[in-house]
Amino acid sequence: MDEFWMKIIGFVATVLLAFVVGAVYGGLVRKIIARTQNRIGPPWYQNFIDILKLYSKSSAINHGFMQHIAPAMAITASVTVLMFVPVLTGDGWFPWFENLNFKGDLIFLVYMMVFGSLGMALGIGQTGNPNAAIGVSRGLSMMVGYEIPFVMALVALMVQTETTSITGLMEYQDQHGWLMFSSPFAFIAAVMAMLGMFHYGPFDVAFAPSELASGPPSEFGGKYLALMMTSGSIFAFAKLVLFVDIFMNGASNLIILVIKTLVLYMIPVLYGAVSPRYRTEQAIRYFWGWPTFFGALAIIFAIYY
Amino acid sequence: MTDISLEKEQKIADELERTFPNLTARVRRARRVMASLEKELIPSVLVHAKDNLGFHHLSHMSVVDWIEDEHFEMVYTLWNHEKRVQLTIKTMISRDNATMANIDTIWRQANTYQREMREMFGIEFPGFVGEKDFLLEDWDEMPPMRRDFDTMEYANKTYFSRPGREDAQDVRDTISKRNGEEVPDFAKKYSREK
Amino acid sequence: MPNDKNSQKIVDMITGFARSNSLFMLAYGTGCGDIEIPPAMTSRYDWERFGYRKMATPRQADVLLISGYLATKTLKRVIRSYEQMQEPKYVIGFGSCTINGGMYWDSYNTINMLDHYIPVDVYINGCMPRPEAVMSGLFELQEMIKRGDANGAQKYRENLEWYRANQKKIIKNWKMPDYNW
Repeated sequence: MDEFWMKIIGFVATVLLAFVVGAVYGGLVRKIIARTQNRIGPPWYQNFIDILKLYSKSSAINHGFMQHIAPAMAITASVTVLMFVPVLTGDGWFPWFENLNFKGDLIFLVYMMVFGSLGMALGIGQTGNPNAAIGVSRGLSMMVGYEIPFVMALVALMVQTETTSITGLMEYQDQHGWLMFSSPFAFIAAVMAMLGMFHYGPFDVAFAPSELASGPPSEFGGKYLALMMTSGSIFAFAKLVLFVDIFMNGASNLIILVIKTLVLYMIPVLYGAVSPRYRTEQAIRYFWGWPTFFGALAIIFAIYY
Repeated sequence: MTDISLEKEQKIADELERTFPNLTARVRRARRVMASLEKELIPSVLVHAKDNLGFHHLSHMSVVDWIEDEHFEMVYTLWNHEKRVQLTIKTMISRDNATMANIDTIWRQANTYQREMREMFGIEFPGFVGEKDFLLEDWDEMPPMRRDFDTMEYANKTYFSRPGREDAQDVRDTISKRNGEEVPDFAKKYSREK
Repeated sequence: MPNDKNSQKIVDMITGFARSNSLFMLAYGTGCGDIEIPPAMTSRYDWERFGYRKMATPRQADVLLISGYLATKTLKRVIRSYEQMQEPKYVIGFGSCTINGGMYWDSYNTINMLDHYIPVDVYINGCMPRPEAVMSGLFELQEMIKRGDANGAQKYRENLEWYRANQKKIIKNWKMPDYNW
């Protein structure tokens, strides 16, 4: 019974940690982008103020049932993804952070990471806003682009380590060193796919500010938008921790976790801050070019490893 | 700019006058030819200029309200790309029954101009199909660009106007008094406090 | 248990802080005033420092920035945008044209007093106001939100008949959906 309650507390603490770190990272990104444009930028806690304000706004617009549950689906998907990613390993400060891992969860995660976007797409479809519909079609076609190199990189890792569990991957890394170095092509392909996954930089055509109103969430204001921003913060953190776990052998305490995730996060952010926007077909051509090539190379490398 | 012989312009004017007997054409300066004629001949002159004289481009189309002489003057401006000559064609139409031939079958861009003229001056183009509302929505008064339309009276009647201040205070004086500054010399002659 | 005064005061303080420090703006750029927004937003004046942000849809915006003159045709769109915004919502009238018509005071097609059609919280005068003036107007709005004075939406709801009568005087063919939130 004691263990059960520890687990429940662990879930809540994980979600809170993910939200806080994700929102702080969001604020830092705004600050960094402002600095690259020679501005001062908002304070680092600006995202918390925004989310607090949006929760205190009224949301009286109703387009139907799907629109109500779409943000809920997005946040469900984010929390579920987070639950299956081991946040801290070993006997760190919070040893109960291992959550709900099981054998084969890497394949499950690949499916689960798409779930939130698909739920949003259904909700947006009901609002009938043309800008949002264009944004959704662009976002989903770009997802087809970056999912292929990402899955190829994961398959290469699975072939090389002969396991499909994230904890299994981490045990393998304990013995053989970081997978980032022992499977370099998979890392390159995964990082290039990550550029698209975060929707920064040249791959922000789905949200294209000032081109598509505000993209897919055009019709969602007030509490819906707050829920989506919360979900986005949690999801960004979950994705970063997943990358750290499978390529950098996780982190044993919070400081190392923050350092590793921040270094990884800076790749799409800095690349994005200085890049103009790709059109959808250009983005897909990019993803099906070099990233896919590196993914294929990683699989061949893993087979003969 | 050294060539001021006006040869090609004169040729175009002569050609127009030879073809249409009631037309008066004159060369105003280099690259500018002006022709005026009566209303009925306008479509045929435009077609002739487009097909035979090489004026392929309708640059502008406008109307002038001569309220004292009680007519509208229609102005068509054409441009010849090869010879680089601009031809201005003018005609008078009566102000009471303002109708004009529809030319959007010759140049499609005339559609927009004609919609604007119909809305702003109330000129009718028989046979012209275009959306009724263009710049104004739900307008049921006299067309507003006609010179006998009293804009100020209409604005006073329709919109609220903020009353001015009773004391007619000058902003510059007020600010200088509040801050204890001198009004600069150049501004003193506009001051209301003598 | 009903909210007692002190706890309500604390809640008001927190929401006032959040609302005043995170203003999402819907810039209604029909007038010439919209050209003053890019300098205010980019690296010269950088209004993101204070948490201001431009939003492209009325659903997500808090502040409606009317930048300059309004023709009767655009007034219709402004009213629709305003009514679709979510409360709390504020309006900033920008430039002389929104105050008394400015240089278009006797035009047949532009309205003269904006506050007879939608409630205006802050006016910024000038033709055009410079970015500093824009920012000072926004600071004023922040102070008003903190004090709880910026209640234009409430005024609109209470005096809806008066506003509707004024709007219908201009927009003769009234075919607008009824937003009842």
